[in-house]
Amino acid sequence: MSATYAPPTTMVGDGTSTASRARSRWRRSRGWVAIAAVLLVGGIVMILPQPRTSGEAYAVDNPGPSGARAAAQILQRQGVSITTVHSLDDALARAKAGDTLAVLGDRYLTDRERLLEESEADLLLVAFDWYPASTDVGIAYGASVTSTVAAGCSDPDAQAAGTITTRRWLRVPPDTDATVCFPRPDDTYWYGERTGAYVVTERDGRRVAMLADATPLLNGALAEEGNAALALRALGKNERLVWFLPRAQASEGTADIDMWDTMPLAVPILFLHGLVVAVVAALWRGRRLGPVVTERLPVVVPAAEASRGRARLYRKMRSHGRAAAALRAGAALRLGTRLGLPRSAPAPDLIDAVARASGRPPDMVESLLFGPPPPDDPHLIRLAQELDHLESEVHHP
Amino acid sequence: MAITWRTVALTALGAVWVLIWPVALTVVAWTALVVVLVVLDVALAASPRAVEITRAVPASVRLGEPTTSTLTVRNLSRRRLRAVVRDAWPPSAIADDRPPGSPLPRRGVHTPRLTLHAAPGEGARGRIPLLPSRRGDLGVPFVAIRALGPMGLAGRQAKIPMHGRLRVLPAFVSRRHLPSRLARLREMDGRASVQVRSSGTEFDSLREYVVGDDVRSIDWRATARRNDVVVRTWRPERDRRVMIVVDTGRTSATRVLDGTRLEASIEAALLLGVLADRAGDRVEVIAYDRAVRARVAGASRSGLLPTMADALAPIEPALLETDWAGVAAEVRARMSQRALVVLLTTIDPATVEAGLLDVVAQLAQRHQVVVAAVADPELERMRTTRTNIMEAYEAAAAERTALGHAAVGMRLRRRGVEVVEAMPDNLPPALADTYLALKAAGRL
Repeated sequence: MSATYAPPTTMVGDGTSTASRARSRWRRSRGWVAIAAVLLVGGIVMILPQPRTSGEAYAVDNPGPSGARAAAQILQRQGVSITTVHSLDDALARAKAGDTLAVLGDRYLTDRERLLEESEADLLLVAFDWYPASTDVGIAYGASVTSTVAAGCSDPDAQAAGTITTRRWLRVPPDTDATVCFPRPDDTYWYGERTGAYVVTERDGRRVAMLADATPLLNGALAEEGNAALALRALGKNERLVWFLPRAQASEGTADIDMWDTMPLAVPILFLHGLVVAVVAALWRGRRLGPVVTERLPVVVPAAEASRGRARLYRKMRSHGRAAAALRAGAALRLGTRLGLPRSAPAPDLIDAVARASGRPPDMVESLLFGPPPPDDPHLIRLAQELDHLESEVHHP
Repeated sequence: MAITWRTVALTALGAVWVLIWPVALTVVAWTALVVVLVVLDVALAASPRAVEITRAVPASVRLGEPTTSTLTVRNLSRRRLRAVVRDAWPPSAIADDRPPGSPLPRRGVHTPRLTLHAAPGEGARGRIPLLPSRRGDLGVPFVAIRALGPMGLAGRQAKIPMHGRLRVLPAFVSRRHLPSRLARLREMDGRASVQVRSSGTEFDSLREYVVGDDVRSIDWRATARRNDVVVRTWRPERDRRVMIVVDTGRTSATRVLDGTRLEASIEAALLLGVLADRAGDRVEVIAYDRAVRARVAGASRSGLLPTMADALAPIEPALLETDWAGVAAEVRARMSQRALVVLLTTIDPATVEAGLLDVVAQLAQRHQVVVAAVADPELERMRTTRTNIMEAYEAAAAERTALGHAAVGMRLRRRGVEVVEAMPDNLPPALADTYLALKAAGRL
């Protein structure tokens, strides 16, 4: 069979034009374009009305009970501009002379003295645990109950407020000229030490006010007693208010060195470049030269599968008898054919012929070919092997 | 659009600049430069669609024989064409690139790609070596072409739909048995030096006696009329009809050794067909499951083998139960005189019960029927290995299957049907021998 050649096929171009390709490309990609558009629009919709709220305690954009959005909004309506900062450097840079710098909490404020020394603005220190030594105020401590206390001092803000609620107190040494307002009614301290919720003092011509507890400023309690009056007056003293919420700084201290800081400058840039190369390599390998060709493959069914299945069934049902019968029948059939006996030959004839051909005693041949079924697996194996031996011993007569 | 390894290398080269100026801008600038060069290269590349492609491929090739597909690409654009071309042949058309005898399964197939360069208006030609590994019609749906730009960084790509077909004919490995069977046929024929007269022969001619001729074949009456001693010559009966039915039903799909039962059936059909044709008989072949899948009838003497190979090449096992009544009807319709009907199927007890037995009995009343089946060597191996308990059970199961086959064979023989059961490699010569024996015995 020599290879006969079919007439060669010729094709010019692929039968498309620029326009038809553009159309088919559009048809193929419009589903993806639609999905991308939906995602884009959805993303914009999700971002646009972002409620600019947070759950951070004391934050001016937190509408929850622990936030200060109510006070901030009232102040803004009154013309006070509020700037939120999170680091001491920012706070000092933003708060100029004549501004108010409100510091909310000192857990993450590591340098209290610097705050006091370098700030040119009026200070309102709220809910501190440790006050800078130079404020003449000792430590603050908490009480288990919320107390309603009266002003009890000459400070106009305190007097305007009348009564406020607080759960914490400030301890002020006896020989200072700080104004202690809202004194603790059941004060039991000795040596003339005073305890109050609000302390006002002067320092280098700046007003430094300290509020033991942030409760009066927060949304949750702003409407109670005279809290609102104290909060708004203390915060709204000046046109500009810097709202300082100290946060933990990752780069502070030596324990948190960034991985990149220890490397030569080229390494992260090289890493970036490696990423670009990887993307280009992916584009190179990812583009196939034409689509994948499919091929119909034949069904693969091994012919002996059915017999194997039958063997497993025999084994599962432990049918030694059935298996032995098959082995014996097969052996008998082959032996009979080999010895020239007809298929209808009776058993004694076969036994006789096999015994003569193999030289084994007839009763042994009989028990092999027509004996009782084996009782268990080992007997079945022995029977199978002995039948095999018997067959190999019998040759043509 | 597609980029090449050169673009990757060029991008990687930017690392030098990154080391000199380690800032992010260096990476951005280098990437931008690469993008500009790639775009430029694509813009300067010849159009992959402004080409005239011609594919020349043989109409047919025998299984296991290498061949080539020749692609000629003519550049119709005004730019120089630097093309990488892929002729999209399916995996079974392409030579296995594993080392011979590798135990690993065949994973991907690396389609050979051609790199062709052609100036405007000129053409280039490339050959793709093919080595089909499966019988049947291999289709090639398209040619993919990538035209690279002058820098070789990137190129434009197109898929040119171009259907092509290569018919892979059966391997007919059993043709090596043909010479010995033809020699036996000549022995039966008067042309051989040994003359045998038997019931299956008819009177051919008279010729002069030569030393060595059997004296019993001297025709005394003719000798008396002439001066020389004249002998009669005999030849086997000619112009008998042979119908070969290849069963393509579900049982032909089962796998025996490396191929399906159908492959062995086709081999046997080819050998028998050629042999019967040389013996002067008229051969007809059908492939049948529930309909006629292929038919060869009335082929001329010399053209029988190509016609048969071509007709049987594309048939595949169908997962259907063979309609034996339909086979009988087909045979009746085609064979009005007594014929030799060869059924290439399996003698699985289940299939035989499902209708083969009745049909064969019916056909055997008119015709000489031969049932040829492929035996499974795996079954024989299962039957004789008996070392552990699982193997003992498997031996029992194989024995049971063999007993079933033997019983079916008995029932078929009792109805005057010849049964040939042999391993895949031995089936074609065994069937051929059966045919010769029947012919010698004058039973056709």
